[in-house]
Amino acid sequence: MSSKPKIKDLLVESACEHNKGKKSSCNAPTPGATTGGCALDGAQIALFPFADAAHLVHGPMSCIGGAWETRLTPTSWSGRDLTQTGFATDINNNDVVFGGEKKLAAAIDHIAASYAPEAVFVYSTCVPALTGDDIDAVCKHRSEKHGIPCVPVHVPGFVGAKNLGSRIAGEAVLQHLIGTKEPEETTPFDINLIGEHNNTGELWRYRHLLEELGIRVLSTFSGDGRIAEIRTAHRAKLNVIVCAKSLVSMTRKMQEQYGIPWISCSFYGKTDTSNGILAIAEALGDADLIARARALIAREEARLDEKLIPYREIFAGKKAVLNTGGNKAWSIASALQDLGIEVVATSVRKSTEADKAKAREYLGENAILMTNPATEQAKVIDDTGAQLLLAGGRSLYTAIKKRIAFTDVNQEKKKSYGGYDGLLVLAEDLINSLQNPVFELVDRKAPWQK
Amino acid sequence: MAEVRRKSGKPLQVNPHKLSQPMGATLAFLGVDRCMPLMHGAQGCASFAKVMFTRHFCEPIALQTTAVNDVIAVLDGGDYSISESVKNIGDKVAPELIGVHTTGLTETKGDDLRGVASKIDVPLVYVNTPDFKGGLESGWTLTTQALIDQLTEPCDRIDAQKIVLVPHVSLQPIEVEKLRDFIEAFGFKVVAVPDLSSSLDNHLGEKQASLSSGGVTVDALKQLADAAFVVTVGASVKPVGATLQKKNPAIRHHHLDHVSGLQGTDALVAWLLEASGREAPPPVVERWRKRLQDAMLDSHFSIGQTRFLLVAEPDHLAAMAASLREVGGKVALAIATVDSPILGDIEADQVIVGDLEDAENISAAYDLIIGNYHTESLAHRAEKRAVMRGFPNYEEIGNALKHDVLYEGGAYFLFEIANAAERMREAQVHHEREQIKLGRAVSLSG
Repeated sequence: MSSKPKIKDLLVESACEHNKGKKSSCNAPTPGATTGGCALDGAQIALFPFADAAHLVHGPMSCIGGAWETRLTPTSWSGRDLTQTGFATDINNNDVVFGGEKKLAAAIDHIAASYAPEAVFVYSTCVPALTGDDIDAVCKHRSEKHGIPCVPVHVPGFVGAKNLGSRIAGEAVLQHLIGTKEPEETTPFDINLIGEHNNTGELWRYRHLLEELGIRVLSTFSGDGRIAEIRTAHRAKLNVIVCAKSLVSMTRKMQEQYGIPWISCSFYGKTDTSNGILAIAEALGDADLIARARALIAREEARLDEKLIPYREIFAGKKAVLNTGGNKAWSIASALQDLGIEVVATSVRKSTEADKAKAREYLGENAILMTNPATEQAKVIDDTGAQLLLAGGRSLYTAIKKRIAFTDVNQEKKKSYGGYDGLLVLAEDLINSLQNPVFELVDRKAPWQK
Repeated sequence: MAEVRRKSGKPLQVNPHKLSQPMGATLAFLGVDRCMPLMHGAQGCASFAKVMFTRHFCEPIALQTTAVNDVIAVLDGGDYSISESVKNIGDKVAPELIGVHTTGLTETKGDDLRGVASKIDVPLVYVNTPDFKGGLESGWTLTTQALIDQLTEPCDRIDAQKIVLVPHVSLQPIEVEKLRDFIEAFGFKVVAVPDLSSSLDNHLGEKQASLSSGGVTVDALKQLADAAFVVTVGASVKPVGATLQKKNPAIRHHHLDHVSGLQGTDALVAWLLEASGREAPPPVVERWRKRLQDAMLDSHFSIGQTRFLLVAEPDHLAAMAASLREVGGKVALAIATVDSPILGDIEADQVIVGDLEDAENISAAYDLIIGNYHTESLAHRAEKRAVMRGFPNYEEIGNALKHDVLYEGGAYFLFEIANAAERMREAQVHHEREQIKLGRAVSLSG
């Protein structure tokens, strides 16, 4: 049986809210007017955090040359960190004409011999997809030969965008890894964290709190993840999706196949972190656990509130405009509100229907939901008198023109703002921005300008 | 000369530093003013390139994609996706030029680029750059040739003061500017093709990334063929000389493999004196030569006892190796991204086409590494030091303003390398002394 996922099925995910109305595909790139990565990019984001697995891109250097060792997803794996190791077959003319299967097989042999990974993910790209390399067959044969899972991930970029690639990665893990191993022991409070990539160490900001409550993270997909653990994920009592709409197909199927219920959480800011911890306890359904969760939340919030007092004074009366994508439209907004900052506008350009509704709920009636932030945000800053713009690097010039403080919120950031303590890091960064004279100075008139 | 291994014997690249041909093409188009580079492939090809250059230059990058999807991949010969892209780009911005470059996907399905381009009624240059061939250097060169071939009007006049300068891809924006200014100081007018010195030079611009904001203008490209000389710098761009000469056989071609170090710059100056008919260079040039001489003497002790690993594009390797050799630096291993005729001329113990796994496997052979961002983690694992040069450098800011060439940049380069080598040795000495304090036996053999 081919391991190629049925793209159409993935595009009309029944658990996606927007598919309940009209059937709209998530992926319709417009030629000459498209930004964002492809399916391969999305699959890399989803799977690369498995540091004990090799990630072999079967393709030319465009697919990997600038994109390895770029993921800020730390691991506690004591072996060589394969997240930060680039493997590529570097397809050449010969491989296009005569096929690349032999080369791919030899590449897997080289990796198995030199790096002893727990698994090898083999990412198919556009060129071998067109020339018809049988990646499934190579992976099957090499799995048997080396005694480790070699997982084909069919993500040629032409099938769609990042979001789809992330879903295909979920399918691959579901089909080839989950359920292939039994855990040594199980507990009533075993959960999987799905879509938590441990970006900049975010997982580590709250994992210890779950463990303190006796909730065991059986596996993660895929932050600080282990192949041996994800193989046992079918024994969890609950799937927790962390900020990743794209993986609902995976959790829905795990519910169908293994009877595991799922919930969706965010661990950004105080409110969401508390809500997330409580939601997990409630979903696990143990009265004592829920009571202990409430006590822990009260303790953590009190501890944080005390530390936030000086910051809240500084942020009192400050207004911010937020221009970022997807669930960040509300999750970062929530964190800003925890600091006492009024979020007067947020971008919902890349948000799902549910994210838009949530943004409205968090920001209130008067807030502006920008559908085209690139053109809207300058006017929004003028109209609202905001003092702070949180956005990606492209918007820096807007902040300079408006002479207001700027903070880069996109993935290039190197610090974690997650969990309770992440809020303090965010607060420090925002103060540094607000107090930095640079945004006013760089737009200063030159001596020769009138 | 060195032992050269021109082919990797492995079925894969592990920790690759090679970059793709379309990436080189993108960068070349970004050296044309008000250009929109349009990568013809799946959306990821352009996205990966855009992210890489954005992070390397710390600048927004103008780049669009034809966003080939599964249906188009099978049914379209390029007509729909390219013409639709041109239309959609035109709806938002008014580029002076659209630079269509292909990828492995669209080359494998065999799109007829020339045919499609002939039907499109906006200024457009196309180039075939499959990413299963060549690399960053060839993508840059093919695009430069395409710009001249498709835009430059034939001419039978010569402007005796005009020089067309063709830099290789690894020369950073400020180096192109310094080189242009240097040549102009001898009385010439210089047009650099491509010209990153005014587009990706870390300047604060207003219309961020809607189009390339600076570079050689399309008008200037049309009127290149009245130049007295075309000067190519770097073996990879040598063929561009002949491309321009096709437009006007009276243009003379002067080639330099690099303009690094004392001898490299002397060669340029000797030619400039001859071509300009001048007796002496401008005073500032003379002054910088003296400063470089002094820098060479000041740095020779440190660099002369250092064994180097160089990791770069072939032309960049040749340039850096020449600078280091002039002060006794021992290039133990030079690793190139791709094969090139210049590799045989590099003075090193070993020159190979390979990856960073190759470097890691023989880490006993070198002390100090000069290479891209990925050599930083190699240095950590192998307990070495690394100085960042080449694409990409995500670790540091200010890459566009790194100046390593000519007398002036050559002095900065030697200082930076010598200082890094000294800090490396100080750290080793410190480590050894700590060990002695702890009463442990140490080997001082290094």
